[in-house]
Amino acid sequence: MSFLGEMLWQALERIASDDGGLAATTWRTLWLALASTSIALAAGLPVGYALGRGASRIRRGGLIVANAGLGLPPVVLGVYLALLLLPGSPLGGLGWTNTLPAIVLAQTLLALPIVVALTAAAVLGLPAGLLDQARALGARGWRLGAFGLREAWVGVVAAALAAFGSAVAEVGAVVIVGGNVRDQTNTLASTVLLDLSAGDPAAATANVLVLLGVIAVLGATFTAVQQRRRH
Amino acid sequence: MDRRPALLTATGLTVGRGGPPLLRGVDLALHPGEIVAVLGPNGVGKSTLLGVLAGLHEAEAGTVARAGSVAAALQAPALAHRTVRANVEAALGWWGVPRRDRAERAGAALRALRAEGLADRPADTLSGGEARRVHLARALAVEADVLLLDEPFAGLDAPTRAALLHDAASALRHPDRATLVVVHDRAEAWALADRLLVLLDGGVAAAGTPGAVLESPPTERVAAFLGFTGRVEEADGRVLRIRPAQVALDDGGPVAGTVRGRIPEEDAVLCEVAVAGGSVWVRAPYPGPAEGAAVRVRIDGGARYP
Repeated sequence: MSFLGEMLWQALERIASDDGGLAATTWRTLWLALASTSIALAAGLPVGYALGRGASRIRRGGLIVANAGLGLPPVVLGVYLALLLLPGSPLGGLGWTNTLPAIVLAQTLLALPIVVALTAAAVLGLPAGLLDQARALGARGWRLGAFGLREAWVGVVAAALAAFGSAVAEVGAVVIVGGNVRDQTNTLASTVLLDLSAGDPAAATANVLVLLGVIAVLGATFTAVQQRRRH
Repeated sequence: MDRRPALLTATGLTVGRGGPPLLRGVDLALHPGEIVAVLGPNGVGKSTLLGVLAGLHEAEAGTVARAGSVAAALQAPALAHRTVRANVEAALGWWGVPRRDRAERAGAALRALRAEGLADRPADTLSGGEARRVHLARALAVEADVLLLDEPFAGLDAPTRAALLHDAASALRHPDRATLVVVHDRAEAWALADRLLVLLDGGVAAAGTPGAVLESPPTERVAAFLGFTGRVEEADGRVLRIRPAQVALDDGGPVAGTVRGRIPEEDAVLCEVAVAGGSVWVRAPYPGPAEGAAVRVRIDGGARYP
């Protein structure tokens, strides 16, 4: 059998036998991504909705920042966040260096522009007059916002899944602020670095396969949501 | 007219959409029990005015005083991605109607517009006419003191429009509600309204009962807009404006003319007849006189302007 085939086979064996704490790493990865996505949604949906609603200069500026944030290199964020978390820095008092909360913070900050930009785009794409009509029938405040986001449902789900996907797959910032400590702060994606530097490509491949599985489930979920909406 | 205090009073309104103002100095009062129709050419600012009255947009100048709740059905029948019933109930929720009362109120409003059969349909499967029915029912369901409707019959084919107009005429009538409806043509104003406002050239150009305004428009501009297509300058220098219905082809008629143009209609031909001092339009039974034919007409009515 070729080298690649051999490696793939070994990787599948390791997945089946839960070798090297693979299940624990998977759960850790999913929990971290779920936490950071939830925080990013809680903060980003209202902001994205507000940016998608109006055309004032402040809102346009916000959109520019959010859209630019989509291209923010995670490594840049990771470096400056790690510096902020060092003892003696503004956030040093938290004692988060090389901890899971630091990873959640980094993933949240990376997911936030995704949620804001995609939500704003979805709200901008609502049929003309839909929200004005709701206002003309008394909808105000959070009720109006909830209605708008519900109508922009497909876009909002896309934002949530894209945020989750970015959190799951993120390596740079996660390694810098979390330290990539095996069995403590490693994720599926960051474990690949550990396995490769330990000369164990089969273990790396096992992590990659699980990661791809998670991404495939996300893709399938989004497709199902899209299809359900098309009567 | 009902002389209870007005439910909505606009004073000196100037409205626009960012550019130069569309309407200036509009005064308007809506009283309980009355239906006011607003008629005007495209782009005159009818929808913008309605948006300001509804509180959706700010006026550039002037004030709107509301002595009751105001609901509006905007021009596009914007319905959410849910069933018809859920759409109406959602509006009742925005309006603050308790959850336990919503189903009954929604049902009653849908019945009033004979749309109860649509209640369980997803809104995005409705035809244009059905969507307009539901759109109207939803606005009625909240039972606002003031109801503002923006072209509720726009974009419908003739039979659908006639049916909805018929149902709306009775559903809209309420002794305590003031209704303002932007209409697309004179027939809708006739069918619905106690009062008619004509918006033209940036302001209210005519106001009164539909009968008074449509029979004798206050100015020649208003007359031309309201279908007084014939125009004849008389010997004394005054201008006579005439609707086609006020002109008949008559071999013994007093006015001689020549057919200048023909517009075939469903079962008649609308003919433009050149006469001394101008031209008149007259509806002739099909096939009607040929272009260039010498005819005689009788003019019965019209409105004169200095």
